[in-house]
Amino acid sequence: MLLGIDPFSAILAVLRYQFMQHAFEAGTVVAIVAGIIGYLVVLRKSSFAAHALSEIGFAGAAGTVLLGINPVFGLLLFTTAAGTGIAVLGKSASHRDVEIGSVLAFALGLGVLFISLYTGYATEAYSILFGEILGISGTSVLITVAVSFAILVLTALVYRPLLFASLDEEVAEAKGLRVTLLGVIFMVLLAAAVSIAIQVVGVLLIFALMVTPAATAIRLSRKPIYAIAISVIIALLATWAGLFISFYEPYPVSFFVTAIAFAAYLLVRFVYRR
Amino acid sequence: MTWQNKYRTIGLSALIIIMAAVIGLFLISSNPPPPNSPATAPSNHSPGRVIRIVAAENFWGSLAQQLGGAHVNVTSIVTDPNADPHEYESSTANARAIANASIVIVNGVGYDDWALRLISAGSVPNQTVLNVADLLAVPNGSNPHLWYDPTDVNKTVKQMYLDLVKIDPSDAGYYAQRYSSVTASLAQLDGQMAMIKQHFWGTKVASTESIFVYLANATGLDLISPPSFMDSVAEGGDPPTQSIIAFENQLEGKNVSVLVYNEQTLTPLTQQMKQIAAQHNITMVGVTETIQPSGMTFQAWMSAQLLQLQSALNTSTLVR
Repeated sequence: MLLGIDPFSAILAVLRYQFMQHAFEAGTVVAIVAGIIGYLVVLRKSSFAAHALSEIGFAGAAGTVLLGINPVFGLLLFTTAAGTGIAVLGKSASHRDVEIGSVLAFALGLGVLFISLYTGYATEAYSILFGEILGISGTSVLITVAVSFAILVLTALVYRPLLFASLDEEVAEAKGLRVTLLGVIFMVLLAAAVSIAIQVVGVLLIFALMVTPAATAIRLSRKPIYAIAISVIIALLATWAGLFISFYEPYPVSFFVTAIAFAAYLLVRFVYRR
Repeated sequence: MTWQNKYRTIGLSALIIIMAAVIGLFLISSNPPPPNSPATAPSNHSPGRVIRIVAAENFWGSLAQQLGGAHVNVTSIVTDPNADPHEYESSTANARAIANASIVIVNGVGYDDWALRLISAGSVPNQTVLNVADLLAVPNGSNPHLWYDPTDVNKTVKQMYLDLVKIDPSDAGYYAQRYSSVTASLAQLDGQMAMIKQHFWGTKVASTESIFVYLANATGLDLISPPSFMDSVAEGGDPPTQSIIAFENQLEGKNVSVLVYNEQTLTPLTQQMKQIAAQHNITMVGVTETIQPSGMTFQAWMSAQLLQLQSALNTSTLVR
């Protein structure tokens, strides 16, 4: 349906709306962060941790809704606390599943309690589960940018040792790297990234930005820096195209973002073979 | 190794710079908003132009449409009678409709927070937002089914009328005329409620949801269902076990004449209650959250529901 329409004026038409500007701002920043952290998630085989942290964040958000505070703070608090706990409890990646599962179950229980205590409607909870990218206020955009900036700076600082420890934990430990500390730092980074990504795609669809683009990128390049760049590009394209298409089609943004990311994965997985 | 390190550092800093640049561009473009854009609501109403109104739910939208007549264009977002409005997820089309509206009507008290988020994300200058709960000074956590309270409906309609006159003073006479006809038809509903009150005052009734609380008050019926049960079902949560037991005992002991249920929030639990009521020959009345069928006016819909309630109360007295 976009054929015959000047694409540049179509983009301008979309950006004329304040809510679309906010959505593009937050979406862009989150896609960049998710593309980078997502690569480390895939490398460290921590998809379950990413998923668990997002659901733990759901409990935190439900708690802050109860108190009438911006849910982002509850998300950050709960995910960082749980992330640190998981990293400290589960020393090596192979045993981490159990710790994640236990912490996750308790956090979801808390979430149910918070929702039942909340005297308003369950709508709040639904918007946390599926994301509300069209309802991001100017303040939330600023919080997202600030958190993303902190994540990127911290990632740049620990990039080399973290990459080493992620590629081969045992060799890294033998060479004297503080693997546990790096694990904690990674979980904190992941927690912060998950917290801001939840606004865009919601708790249930976090994989669309956190795992799918990176999983696609790893199949395209073995070099970490290229893989990260490809992962960021896929996440960005999925977010931008998803927002753009949703402006002209009457279906939710989350669906388009996840569909585009998954299409890219399928394309690389089955069409492009090395 | 060192040359690789250098590339990594360069790559990461390039990303940070790109990100900063993109955000910078967006922030510059977003403040101040471009002039004459369709996202800016027309502040001075010019004659011959229709006022765009978006109502979060169709019960408020119907009333606004009747007040504004040919001078307004009303879009009601939640109209689908088969979906529960609470479980609603916003689409870009709705966000756009809200960003283009001169008047946005929301129910408030947590019933449509998604609409409030879309309003604040749109941040449209000169937009009139009518938050019904704020207007009525309803405290947070109250029963949000305000459109089932006749006094609240009258106050809200008055505010809608005042907002229209404020935005379009040149058509004040037209709006005044329509306002008096809307209040007259609402008064007929009050008459129906008074009838029920006269015949069935103090009759014990049950309801699966808090949707019926205001109407029970207005019709003088004694709604004895556990409030925690009704609130939990309305809010989409799990009712406390004690309240379920109490509810079942009321139905099994035939302590109530009529069971009112919400046709749009049928959960396994409310179905179970309906089953128990059916086993004990308790008359049931279905009410709906939004106007159903959605083409009806608010008054016609409410009047039909009141008639059903009245006939159900009649039947139950015959059975006894």
